[in-house]
Amino acid sequence: MSNTALDRKFDRIRALEEAGKLKPASGSRAIRKMMSNRLAMVGVVIFMTILLASIFAPLLTSHDPLKVDLRSMLQTPSSEHIFGTDRTGRDVFARVLYGGRVSILVGLGSALIAALVGVGIGCYTGYKGGWIDMIALRVSEIFMSFPQIILVLLLVSIAGQSLANLIIIFVLTGWGGMYRLSRARMLSLREEEYVQALQSFGVPTLKICYKHILPNALGPIMVNVTLTTAMFILAEAGLSFLGLGVPLHIPTWGNILNVAQDLRVLQHNWWLWLPVGSVISLFVLSVNFIGDGLRDSADPTIQG
Amino acid sequence: MGLHMLTFIIRRLFITIPMLIIISFLVYLGLELTPGDAVSHMIDPEVANTVSPEQLQAIRESLGLDKSFMHRYLVWLTNILQGNFGHSLSGGVAITTIVLDRLPATLELSIFALVFSTLIGCLLGTISALRRGSTTDSTLTVVGMLGVSIPEFFFGLVAILIFALNLGWLPAGGRLLPGYDSLMDRLPHIILPGLVLSLMMTAGVMRYARSAMLDSLSREFIRTARSKGLPEWRINLVHGFRVAITPVVVLIGFRLPTLIGGSVIIEQVFQWPGIGSEFIGAVRGADYPLVMMIALLSVFAVLLASLIVDVLTALIDPRVRLG
Amino acid sequence: MNNELALSVKNLKTFFYTNKRCNKAVNGVSFDIKKGKTLGVVGESGCGKSVTASTIMQLLPRLSRIEEGSVTYYSEKGEVRIDQLERDGPEMRSIRGEEIAMIFQDPMTSLNPVYTVGFQIEESLKYHTHLGSAARKARVIKLLADMGIPLPEKRAKEYPHNYSGGMRQRAMIAMAISCNPKILIADEPTTALDVTIQAQIFNLMNKLKEEHETAIMLITHDMGVIAELADEVAVMYMGNIVEAGTVDDVLRRPQHPYTRALLESIPVLGRGKDQDIKPIRGATPDPYERPIGCQFAPRCDYATAVCEVMPDEEAVSDTHRVVCARYKEIFENA
Repeated sequence: MSNTALDRKFDRIRALEEAGKLKPASGSRAIRKMMSNRLAMVGVVIFMTILLASIFAPLLTSHDPLKVDLRSMLQTPSSEHIFGTDRTGRDVFARVLYGGRVSILVGLGSALIAALVGVGIGCYTGYKGGWIDMIALRVSEIFMSFPQIILVLLLVSIAGQSLANLIIIFVLTGWGGMYRLSRARMLSLREEEYVQALQSFGVPTLKICYKHILPNALGPIMVNVTLTTAMFILAEAGLSFLGLGVPLHIPTWGNILNVAQDLRVLQHNWWLWLPVGSVISLFVLSVNFIGDGLRDSADPTIQG
Repeated sequence: MGLHMLTFIIRRLFITIPMLIIISFLVYLGLELTPGDAVSHMIDPEVANTVSPEQLQAIRESLGLDKSFMHRYLVWLTNILQGNFGHSLSGGVAITTIVLDRLPATLELSIFALVFSTLIGCLLGTISALRRGSTTDSTLTVVGMLGVSIPEFFFGLVAILIFALNLGWLPAGGRLLPGYDSLMDRLPHIILPGLVLSLMMTAGVMRYARSAMLDSLSREFIRTARSKGLPEWRINLVHGFRVAITPVVVLIGFRLPTLIGGSVIIEQVFQWPGIGSEFIGAVRGADYPLVMMIALLSVFAVLLASLIVDVLTALIDPRVRLG
Repeated sequence: MNNELALSVKNLKTFFYTNKRCNKAVNGVSFDIKKGKTLGVVGESGCGKSVTASTIMQLLPRLSRIEEGSVTYYSEKGEVRIDQLERDGPEMRSIRGEEIAMIFQDPMTSLNPVYTVGFQIEESLKYHTHLGSAARKARVIKLLADMGIPLPEKRAKEYPHNYSGGMRQRAMIAMAISCNPKILIADEPTTALDVTIQAQIFNLMNKLKEEHETAIMLITHDMGVIAELADEVAVMYMGNIVEAGTVDDVLRRPQHPYTRALLESIPVLGRGKDQDIKPIRGATPDPYERPIGCQFAPRCDYATAVCEVMPDEEAVSDTHRVVCARYKEIFENA
């Protein structure tokens, strides 16, 4: 028998086991799993860093993101302006920090509202079944037949650009996914015995639906919320980059990138767009890490 | 194949066609809600300029300007089915012409991205699954996560900066025409936008292929195959991979809307003359007929592609055909 | 001696290393499988019987290994120490399917859903025989017919989900015996099937035994199946064999408290609804928190201080052995 690295690892485990050293740790298994998932932890750190930096922007920079200063146009990064200045003299670092507030608000906010709407409808219609379920399903299918960007731009062209509009439009395009997910969970959970027991006790429908079944479905829903957040942040960035998302007078990460449409800016003024783009990427990456970690810890079948 | 497949397709059409009709209704509703009357753009501006005002009014009445909403909708729908998509508000060009003009470019890019992301994604995902836990696997996983996190247009900008502006290897945008230029000449133009467009999709396919492969390899029939004394490569490929592709194909079906949508921004970044960049121009210019029409066509494309993917799925998975 | 034996397992230990812990799934097991005879291995879920079978075929999962012991296969060319062969190496692969074959509990999940049944049976033939394509196809049809599947030419081109449960298991058996293996390992072959189908499968297996001198290792949790099919029995509990002997020895004169408890916990058809069935008290212990000494002691009505040390194996007769410190005292009086 060859003595491979795997063999040595097994030997170590066996020795420890026989010495009685390997007892299960205390504490929730899910949290332990999360903590041992290094990527997820890294994700949490990055996420919190960027989030807190945006929230506490005034503490981190004394510059006003909207203040135009024509005497300091297009300056390269320095100790005075960490990310340099843009074409109208505004401090880029300040714009990134304050812009984060809006971008995260739009991304996370829309995702949460879409979850509320989607899960709310999905649980109820999934539980009740019948024609109300059919209708809701068809409606969600209609929304999901549109490529997201096209539907968003369609609605923007009809409703006009504004921050509130964008959030509403995002919710409209995003609720379908949540709806499908929670409906599917509801369909499988509603056949469980404890539900029938609750029904026979005369517990009202809404209570069964939201108080008893929903908590069991939360795992995949939370994972989906993180993924949807990532999707919306990317969508907002793309739209604002094109000038069709959040109105240009409100700084967002995507807005700041708007200037990069010009090839000269691209080549000669890297500080105007490269840092912002990297921040967006890092933030979305951290959200994805967290989502992955949540998915792994909620899934009892993945082996250690 | 044969009868089963035919009934399958017909049943799917039964569901799809009503959906298209409802969506066309909603689109027309959107058209009515936007400024301007929803009828005038159906008339060819050339004609509108040459006839007398009375004749113009007559034409507009025939299109249902003074009739009910439903009447106008049905007239509009009939026109569409006959190929009259109306006319763009900026320039008065027939929308049908615009679409036919720009479609090949978008198709070229989308098909490139689809093929590339499917092949490379499946390949890398399978390698990742077979080498589970190794450094290759970890690296690919992180690269995959980067792929779905970096905004595609940002990646495009960086790619343009490095490969076009700084290194000068590839052009920064634009497209050469198939009739006039050879494939070799056209290739450098397609590469950057094509690869950038496939970025997110490849990463997605890779992750999914990996998990589908791992799932397939953990099933009972793999143990049976091994108990028959088959060689490893056959177990992985003929049994493992073959069962894993079904969910991957289904996933690609789900991602098609994203692909069609993704080309919108990428076309803009790379100045690619496709329907996507046309759409952006229409939105910016409040060219509502054009906006609505492209949206409707994109839905049609998604539903059609969905149907094709479903047929493909039924072909590769014998269990699906019965259901 | 060698003419009689097909496989010999001595002091086998297989440990699992999932979740960074060590699970001693099989902890010292010895038995022989004789040609033309059926050895039944019986025990509750988790006792290690399936793991033993997987070990013989070297079909263990990644995070496990054969810790100690030997598995010796008596082939025509001499003795082969299976435990020393490379897990998926050429020798092991040529043994699998050709010399030792296995059928599994659930034929629906054990067959690949996207390939026809004929294709899957043909695979074995392709890799273990030199038959040409037409000959292989003919062989497949004959095998299906032998298994009692009607219209075999048509059935060979169908998919597993087109078959009924009983037919699927027959197809599995056809696949397993396609290359005439000397040993057939059947892991709970009828658990997923109706009782009426069970009888048909049993007949099939007996036929195999008689016509081809195939040695069969039958794994089950059902004493009734043992009574029907087995020539010899081994009773397993928590990774050890607690009693073994001929079917007559073990079922009529059980000497281990666990065997007795098992027999008393089964309802017997015909005895009516007031028959005295006694479920075994307690539950199987967590494999990571094992009792010291005899593993059954916490649930045993006769356990005393003596049972805190693992007893040695004792011979009740030439054919009958038991691992219990107190069996003589307990059952002399029974």
